[in-house]
Amino acid sequence: MSQLTYASIDQTILNTLTPPKKYYWVIVFLLFAGALIGAACWTYQIFVGIGVGGQNNPVGWGTYLINFVFWVGIAHSGTLISAILHLFRAGWRNPIARAAETMTVFAVCIAGLFPFIHLGRVWQVYYMIPLPNQRLLWPNFLSPLMFDVIAISTYLTVSSLFWYTGLLPDLAAVRDRSAGTRYKIFKILSLGWTGAHEQWRHYSRGYLFFAALATPLVISVHSVVSWDFALAITPGWHTTIFAPYFVAGAIHSGLAMVLTLMIPLRKLFKYEQIITGEVLENVAKTIVFTGLIVGFAYATEYFIAWYSHNAVEMEQFRWRALGDYRWGFYFMVGCNTLIPLLFLFKKVRTTIATLFIISLIVNFGMWWERFVIIVGGVAHGFAPHAWGLYAPTYIEYGIMLGAFCLFFFLFVLFAKHLPSVSMTEMKEVVEKGAESHGA
Amino acid sequence: MGPERYLMGLFKDEDQVVAAVNELKASTYTFHRVNSPFPSHKIMDALNLKKSMVGWFTLAGGIIGLVGGFCLAIFTAVQWNMIVSGKPIVAIIPFVIVGFEATILCAVFGNILGLVTQTRLPNYKLMQHYDPRCSGEHFGILASCETGQEDGLNEFFRQKGGEVRVFD
Repeated sequence: MSQLTYASIDQTILNTLTPPKKYYWVIVFLLFAGALIGAACWTYQIFVGIGVGGQNNPVGWGTYLINFVFWVGIAHSGTLISAILHLFRAGWRNPIARAAETMTVFAVCIAGLFPFIHLGRVWQVYYMIPLPNQRLLWPNFLSPLMFDVIAISTYLTVSSLFWYTGLLPDLAAVRDRSAGTRYKIFKILSLGWTGAHEQWRHYSRGYLFFAALATPLVISVHSVVSWDFALAITPGWHTTIFAPYFVAGAIHSGLAMVLTLMIPLRKLFKYEQIITGEVLENVAKTIVFTGLIVGFAYATEYFIAWYSHNAVEMEQFRWRALGDYRWGFYFMVGCNTLIPLLFLFKKVRTTIATLFIISLIVNFGMWWERFVIIVGGVAHGFAPHAWGLYAPTYIEYGIMLGAFCLFFFLFVLFAKHLPSVSMTEMKEVVEKGAESHGA
Repeated sequence: MGPERYLMGLFKDEDQVVAAVNELKASTYTFHRVNSPFPSHKIMDALNLKKSMVGWFTLAGGIIGLVGGFCLAIFTAVQWNMIVSGKPIVAIIPFVIVGFEATILCAVFGNILGLVTQTRLPNYKLMQHYDPRCSGEHFGILASCETGQEDGLNEFFRQKGGEVRVFD
């Protein structure tokens, strides 16, 4: 980063906001079409009924809840990078913090859609909102599902405000280099920010508090998501390690998605000087760490099932490795724990192609982890005569495709219309680099 | 005495800014502010600023959220007095989650309120004496003087190594 100057940072990042070429709009159109397929499938489900999905007894929780947990997980690394690493003063997070925060906001939005989709009668969602109504009904705050409503809506609100607050000085920088309608739009969006010392005095303090508040929030949110399962008595779900296990898994999948998004972005936007190989290498090292934590959690689940001598638990975990969904289990262990260990080799974690491929593999494996936990638990419960299997329907696949397309659609729009790297934070990195060099 | 004239000295180096601010404060010119593209610790230290009050807003929001979250959960529970899952009507442990999330949410709202009120945003009037280069690679020192003294102030900024912008 030593070759970076304030001017080169501005130039590199603002160059990404030039009018896009035709192929960009083709990609946007294709992703939008994919999102429309998802919307059409959901509309069909609303008119025909939830039965168009594959969920049925005993597996009442299928891809809608798998995708919910998957997207909440993806959302977590954004806050890890922007808040937790900010508190630890880890300078390498600065080039990727903005994109990771944006990923968080979009991923929470996508995740938030799935409980609505899963609800079936989505118009009755107001029962979950604690507002006085004519039926004098109130939500039951003893339910983990209500915990989830509060946690996810808080997370969406906080991460959106955190994202916008961080964006404010950069919106002003774009405003100052724009003209015409674009100037007017960015003038409104930047709220008249001028970078006056009085503004920075309050801003720096407020941003620190944001980070300090977002840190426990991010840990609480995925803990709460894990309690959707752990507070039920279902075999395979009812375990106290779920909260840390889910939080580590969430960060694991989120970091993998950061690599999946950052590597093409770096290439397309010529960010090599800003998002250096060292930054990607540090993400890879963190993936090794989180991969080992989830691997330890997988092993602990087996140990506890064996050590408890509980016949139902033991059967659940025997079936997990040898039963109908064993492939999901092998994907989960292989993709999330074993393959990321390849990052221990410097050659692997410094080669862009292998970084990208392994990030895709981890994303794939983390989706399967949620499948194994959610479907596996209810498919193979207490009573053998109630065991059953589940397979998603085309409607569910359509909605899943729509969710992925919507996420990438939003991200692609963001990348070309707002600064995808924080100019302010990059300038701070240069300043600190100069200071340490001078010292 | 004529109307005030505003001038901005634009510097690329933080150390020059610090030196200029220190001398400007000791002079007869009126120092207004420094505009910078990022929060420079050197400049902040030179200005000897007081600690921001934003934290008090955050704290107040957090306390309101904590009390409000518990009150909401307890209020809704006692409306029906129905035992669920064998737990007491007012079950403190599950309500900690409601209280915790409400604490964070309201603390963040307090933080935003603090930021908005303390930085006085949105405020488009601040852009009146502002140079767009200050969001790029320049640090701008805004100072004013009485009409007729602008040449002196102009010269002062130039001596310190800066460019000068004179506002109408």
